[in-house]
Amino acid sequence: MSFQMNQPCGAMELSENSNATQSSPHHVLLKQFLVVFLVLALAFIDKSLAAEHVIQLTAKETRADGFGNELLAYKMVSHTVNGQDITSRYSSEATIPGPTIELTEGDTVEISIFNEIFNNDVQVPGISKQVSIHVHGVHYNILSDGTLKVINKVDDEGAGAGLEPGAVYSVYTYTWNVAPGTVGTWAYHDHNFETHNGAEHRGLFGAIIVNPIGAAHYAKEYVLYLGDDAFWGMEINGATKKQSKHGPNPTLTAKEDTHVRFHLIALGTDLHTFKLNGYQWFDPGTTNRINEVAIGPLEKHVFSIKAEHSAHYEDKNLSNKLLGMRGKFNVQ
Amino acid sequence: MFSKCENLLMDDKNSKMNSKETYGLNRPIMQLIKCMVVAAALLTSSVVLAAVHNITLTAKTLPNGQLAYALGGNEAVIPGPTLFVKEGDTVNVTLNNDTSIRVGFKIPGLQQSSAKVKPGENKKYTIKAKKAGTYAYHGNMDGKELLGLFGALVVDKANGPVDRYVEANGNTVPVTQSDITKQFVLFMVGSTFWGSEIASDGTQKPLWANPHPGAVENDIVRFHILSVGPGHTFHLHAHRWFKTGTNEVIDTKLLAEGSDTHSFTVKAGTGVGAGNWQYHCHLIAHMEAGMHGSFIVDPVGGDGAGIVGASPYGNILLGTKPNEPGVVTFEVSDEPASWFRSARGDAIVGLPFDIKTKSLEVIYPGSSVNFVMSDTNGVHTISSLLWPTGAQHMPFDQSSAYRGGGFVTLHTPGLYVFTCKVHPYMFGAVIVDDPGTDQGFDLGNSQNNYTIDLVTGLKNLPTSSDLAVRLLKTFFIATAPVNWQDYSTGQWNVKFPNLPLITSGGVVNLSTLNINGQALSVGLTPKKPGVGEVWINTQFEKTAGKDKPGTSTVVNTSTWQVTRKVALPQINNNNPHNMWSNRDQSVIYQTQWFDNKFSMINRETGELIKNITVGYSPSHVVTIPNTDDITIAINGENGISMIPAGTTNVTKMLPTQDHGHISANPHGHWISADGSKIVTPNINTNDIGIYGTDGGIHARTPTGNNAPGAHPIAIGMMPDSSKIYAANLLHHSLSVLDGSTGALLTTIDLIADYNPITGAFVDGDQNNDPEAYGILPIQSPVSPDGKAVVIASTGGQIVIVDTATDKIVKSLLCDPGCHGANFGAKEGGGYYAYVTTKFGNRLTVVDLDPDNDGDLRKAKIAGYVSLVDTANTTKDDTVSSLPGFGGQGVLAVPNVYNGWVQNLPKHWKDTLTDAQQNPIGQ
Repeated sequence: MSFQMNQPCGAMELSENSNATQSSPHHVLLKQFLVVFLVLALAFIDKSLAAEHVIQLTAKETRADGFGNELLAYKMVSHTVNGQDITSRYSSEATIPGPTIELTEGDTVEISIFNEIFNNDVQVPGISKQVSIHVHGVHYNILSDGTLKVINKVDDEGAGAGLEPGAVYSVYTYTWNVAPGTVGTWAYHDHNFETHNGAEHRGLFGAIIVNPIGAAHYAKEYVLYLGDDAFWGMEINGATKKQSKHGPNPTLTAKEDTHVRFHLIALGTDLHTFKLNGYQWFDPGTTNRINEVAIGPLEKHVFSIKAEHSAHYEDKNLSNKLLGMRGKFNVQ
Repeated sequence: MFSKCENLLMDDKNSKMNSKETYGLNRPIMQLIKCMVVAAALLTSSVVLAAVHNITLTAKTLPNGQLAYALGGNEAVIPGPTLFVKEGDTVNVTLNNDTSIRVGFKIPGLQQSSAKVKPGENKKYTIKAKKAGTYAYHGNMDGKELLGLFGALVVDKANGPVDRYVEANGNTVPVTQSDITKQFVLFMVGSTFWGSEIASDGTQKPLWANPHPGAVENDIVRFHILSVGPGHTFHLHAHRWFKTGTNEVIDTKLLAEGSDTHSFTVKAGTGVGAGNWQYHCHLIAHMEAGMHGSFIVDPVGGDGAGIVGASPYGNILLGTKPNEPGVVTFEVSDEPASWFRSARGDAIVGLPFDIKTKSLEVIYPGSSVNFVMSDTNGVHTISSLLWPTGAQHMPFDQSSAYRGGGFVTLHTPGLYVFTCKVHPYMFGAVIVDDPGTDQGFDLGNSQNNYTIDLVTGLKNLPTSSDLAVRLLKTFFIATAPVNWQDYSTGQWNVKFPNLPLITSGGVVNLSTLNINGQALSVGLTPKKPGVGEVWINTQFEKTAGKDKPGTSTVVNTSTWQVTRKVALPQINNNNPHNMWSNRDQSVIYQTQWFDNKFSMINRETGELIKNITVGYSPSHVVTIPNTDDITIAINGENGISMIPAGTTNVTKMLPTQDHGHISANPHGHWISADGSKIVTPNINTNDIGIYGTDGGIHARTPTGNNAPGAHPIAIGMMPDSSKIYAANLLHHSLSVLDGSTGALLTTIDLIADYNPITGAFVDGDQNNDPEAYGILPIQSPVSPDGKAVVIASTGGQIVIVDTATDKIVKSLLCDPGCHGANFGAKEGGGYYAYVTTKFGNRLTVVDLDPDNDGDLRKAKIAGYVSLVDTANTTKDDTVSSLPGFGGQGVLAVPNVYNGWVQNLPKHWKDTLTDAQQNPIGQ
């Protein structure tokens, strides 16, 4: 809430953003795309089910180690679906991993990023202070790529001071079309902090889950990120949609004989082999049963199981295994 | 013959007759032929359609020294020619070898001969394309193939669609060959993409390194992503496609270590529109190492041309196509001196300019430098050490060590030196020569008076300054073994390149600094014997029975003779770096710094007990005094591996940082005498970490005094654990920390007496000794009695610091590349400091207190010991070159440090005086 106190002029922020887009020759392009998206939506989607999401995220420092080092994290500021506020399902803190955003094929998303990282509005030559949201999987045009101009050739697409002279935005808004064909679990992450690679490896990551229309429901959803020294995870209660247990190597819980779903996403530099001891599942998109999976940074792997017994989930990568990269899956 | 027309086949001979028809046909006719082929397929079996392809490939050396395959008489290209065949076809490859090394032809996943072709000869390989899929072919040369001998073989189903794509509306659309507008092959090698483009008429065009492939919106584009070497993940922004063989839609795909492939098709910009859509490896370290490009999707009406990347023929010294951006390539190697070896290093050494290093390259502005970790078992970084003031893309660096490579484009004229943060004497230098100057090679930018900036925050250093010249001399000595001090030859020669260099002080020629025939003699051995033996890691010594360098050299301190060399050829012992021993001194523990291995050696017989995987780039090993458990600093990773006493398995790795924080990459750690604390110099985070031996981070203390790049590298500790000493390699300083809290007490400037501009020495630290200094300090142990710190400095000094005052007492001369130091017992009382050097082959023995009066000012060199083997040396392998060189880790047996000495068996204690047995008088 300090965020709102620091920047009380919500209207001004919005106008700043529209200034940013207006100053760009691509504003027209953006509109054209929106029209295209709408046409597509009308043509191919059961419109009555398509929802409009309006989301605001911010980024801030977190998890100080006590010795002057901090990580960065996203925090959900607000999320409305067709005007209905569902913000309470998210943590009120900045968390690693960031919020998991559940969407349905056919939805549209307007997502804004704010930046509360110290000194983010002061331009420094050669160093970007921006935080962005680069999303995987769904459709968006080049203004919603969430990258710096050195990559996208259009703009520094984030909140904070970018590399380009004058590219200082207090908020940056992206439009996502959760088009047909984008079902899956996809990471979103920063692409702009300090360098054009962003700070995904310092905590600025989260996920979207795009469900097909009429998808099955699960008692629990677990989003597990395989990092270079730990799993970062969280779980979602299937009934209340409440998100909890954010942090490294979380203990996941399930009721016996309920159906639960795991969403794996890898991050960082290491390659991993994931195992949930004593369980098998379908390799996504196939009818093959597997009991472990090789996964590399920003790949995703989603599977569901019936919770039958407690087990450990773990990474078989030698160094990570030695570092204790594993957690409990407790079935009661 | 119809099948041949349908295949977009790039074979020669056999297809010469057909090639005109195939490549010249316009699309409707192609489609007509296709229809006929499909009709034929329906009427006959596909066996009838199986074709035989006769292909001639020639392996060649490119102007930048990289290797490549040429198809027939065409230009040799990277990746090699893409071969398109149908399932069931037979491919006969005749391989000519126009290179100077043996090359092969291997397709993982398809069976063929593993035979190699000698230079100047040829050989035929027959491959049956049994199963549809994309295959990598490569030169099968233990890593050398990563220099460019790789290409793609695409085997499509004999009939029907070759792929499918996801339309903007979510529909899955099958793709036939004729639907495809263009194809891109992108090889992920090291941390670089090597691309080629195949037009719809089959024409192939090299896109070279990190290109920006182009297309027009709605073009149907098929990508073939392949890899050889370390693994990657491929990600293309804003596009999605099917994971092969599944109905899973993805936008990122793992390419597993070794060799892997992934082909997919997209409709360019579908659902997302035109744009410069980045593609990249999604491993953070590879992204930081420059592994990216853009897929340029033009709006409808555009030409979809894309931008070609950096070419091995391009604008580099002696390049053949100066109008194209060029690239030079360094192989990252475990080989002494050639750690960053130019792919054309042998040719450079052969030029008539007395260039003795293989680690120097010259390019022109706008060209690029490529690094590939093709000859190393360790992990590394590719990090800037210095660069011309104001240069773009500098400093180049990565946030963790990794396996792969690097790629950086350089625009500003001047000198760039790259190193590895984990192994900070690995050097590669690139001069970006300004075409606007003609008096010599530019060490800086004329716009900035030819100055350079250093990674330590030092800016605008004139290239004519004493420090800049010292750094240059260090580079030319470290990277050229002929410039090393070989005491077995009796004379020292140093040849610097005979090239005019433009500096801040005008044009200079370093060859005026050459050393010609300077007499070398090992010097006398110490008069007074030591106790026991000294083990020295002669890390660069080469032996006949293994590829990788390094031995342990054992010196008997009674006779000062080399009694044993332990090479361990059976495990290809790789760069043995540092040692410790178990409590009863029966086992020597040995790290292999450029590998992920750690070995246990029987001290008395020199035999291998066990070779153990412990994590990448293990640097130092120390036992915990009260448990005898083994702790190994995993320099390339983020922890300390633990092996319980008496066992041979790593049970855990103690993390050196909190979850998710930047890897600390600990190097030369120490353990408190009471066994409670592990203290590490964290080279990647520039701090000293204090950890509980049973876990927990107690302190992380930065050492740079707010300046970047201190690079703390080794720890010494007071025998009562009251103070910690940490040498900061790149700041030329010694940090002094409180042993219990980790608080920084003071920082001793080891070059306070040195003026980096003029090279003059004045008494800057007012210790009454203006000649006392240490450049690039490394190991810094505290004497077992706690009286002094001895600091081996790679600039060629041994600095002695009084622990009572924390001031420099004096410095002694050491050989170039002075590196390791450790204490052992002197017979009858007191201690010797044994000091090793990398670029010399003798051991320096220092006596801190020759007169037993406690006056450190009298410290002197007691003598020297040649580390070259003799007829009386017991060996497990024959020394083949670099005899006795590469002195780094050093260990005296018995271990006489407080905490350890008390646990020695009686027969070892009996060799020590009472004071030596109780060094702090308990």
